[in-house]
Amino acid sequence: MKSDFSHILDTIPPSGIRKFFDLVIGAKDVISLGVGEPDFRTPWAIREDAIFSLEQGKTSYTSNSGLLECREAIVDYLAQRFDAHYDPTTEILLTFGVSEAVDIVLRSILNPGDEVIVPEPSYVCYTPLVQLAGGKVIPLDTTSTQFIPDPDQIARAITPKTKAIILCSPSNPTGRTIPKDTLIQIGKLAQAHDFWIITDEVYAELTYDGPFQSVAALPNLKPSTILLNGFSKAFAMTGWRLGYVCGPPELIARATKIHQYSALCAPITAQYAAIEAVKNCAKDVQAMRDSYKGRRNLFVKRLNEIGLPTALPEGAFYCFPNIRHTGLSSEEFALRLLKEQRVAVVPGYVFGLGGEGHIRCCYATGLEELKEALTRIKKFMKSLQ
Amino acid sequence: MNPIDAQVLALVTANARMSSDDIADQLQISVAQVEILLKSLETQGVIVQYTTVVDEKKLPQRSGKIKALIEVSVRPEKRTGFEAIAKKIAQFNNVVDHYLVSGGYDFLVIVEGDSLEEISSFVSDKLASIDNVRSTATHFIMKKYKEKGILIGQPPKEERLAVSP
Ligand SMILES: Cc1ncc(COP(=O)(O)O)c(C=O)c1O
Repeated sequence: MKSDFSHILDTIPPSGIRKFFDLVIGAKDVISLGVGEPDFRTPWAIREDAIFSLEQGKTSYTSNSGLLECREAIVDYLAQRFDAHYDPTTEILLTFGVSEAVDIVLRSILNPGDEVIVPEPSYVCYTPLVQLAGGKVIPLDTTSTQFIPDPDQIARAITPKTKAIILCSPSNPTGRTIPKDTLIQIGKLAQAHDFWIITDEVYAELTYDGPFQSVAALPNLKPSTILLNGFSKAFAMTGWRLGYVCGPPELIARATKIHQYSALCAPITAQYAAIEAVKNCAKDVQAMRDSYKGRRNLFVKRLNEIGLPTALPEGAFYCFPNIRHTGLSSEEFALRLLKEQRVAVVPGYVFGLGGEGHIRCCYATGLEELKEALTRIKKFMKSLQ
Repeated sequence: MNPIDAQVLALVTANARMSSDDIADQLQISVAQVEILLKSLETQGVIVQYTTVVDEKKLPQRSGKIKALIEVSVRPEKRTGFEAIAKKIAQFNNVVDHYLVSGGYDFLVIVEGDSLEEISSFVSDKLASIDNVRSTATHFIMKKYKEKGILIGQPPKEERLAVSP
């Protein structure tokens, strides 16, 4: 009996990212463009507030939904920053990063056989977590619309079983953002067919060419929207493990039910740190945003110059060069680039439909390393000719 | 100042050796534009000098400089106030920074020398003996934690996983 593990789980393949990680770990003198996190440390003011909370002996559990003070601070921030308005007592739950939020939201809304539309390439956790929650993923290849979800294509994928769509803007892995008009059209579909929009806005602060448009701020869409966000990317707080989900009270109550049994509460130290982050760290965030933006501009321009066609992404800290003309699969390209020139990138196929033929490069790395990586990639491209 | 000028200035302030090429590509402007801009900031005297932050601890023994911070109280002079005295002090080679400050004393003077003796004799022979300098208080700098916004002696940064989702 013990050798019979969860059947759903055993149908899910291990993450392609994990496989690549194991290869890179053994290699020496590697420049990694394979990371998925900021290269800044958490701003000191945030760390210092966390230390102060520890000195004050704040080491207990918090309420299941998180410290009220922290929920209030986040809700104020969302209102000011993104014009998204939530009630701190009934419409927000603090979680272990956006990761936990995705999981418990899906488990709150899905019944066996329910369908979730996932425009791809997409962040790697959506599909397995839908499956573990008993749902069925309907992946949509967004290649033909430059990785922006296409409302017409979505309309064709809707069935009576459609329960939700998962949007991620700015996107991991492409860095693309979804324009407001497109969001409005997707919103109309969600209202007409009564399904949820789960919007992963963890990169909202890292938008470079204009203000960020939150789905939750669009007219009339709040009742259909489940907003996910967190501290990992904007505030360089990946290791703290703090995120949140905002949505209608009936959804939050259900997500809280799962959270209270499987997590109890988000880490208290991170919650105290988060209060400082949303209240007083806009300048730090701005400085990091400026720094990523400069690196994006330089890196993407030079990738194009060395023969890797790359669209200028509007946000996050990834770009998604097209490698199809090399004749290599994304996995071959990534493996050979690692072996021959010691540069790690993530092969596009791991991000689902439309990912093949691309590699994901993260430019949240020092300027000198980026330039050295470009030199090495150029050599690699030459060797292919 | 227009935003592009400010951004160029911010980049060279953080790293004076950044190439015009790298500046241009980060700000999506041309190399020529960067060079014209820098030249004009230099001729206007906005950019006075490009300097370097050094961690003297990492230098071979004794080749590092010794620094002191000196509080100077003066008697302002008729007509010229602080200016004439300030000019006399600022010209000495040992003086690396010199500010007029509010509060309990008048000038904050930062001096540098090869040895304690050099700085002591500078203070007694040169500084304290200037007319209208009423008193000085010298604080030798024992350890440097941060200079020009840069933390000194930080551990290297890379602790991230090489590949993550
Ligand atoms: C799109 C996206 N969502 C969620 C996460 C996970 O974030 P967290 O650290 O908040 O769990 C990531 C991390 O890479 C991400 O890229």
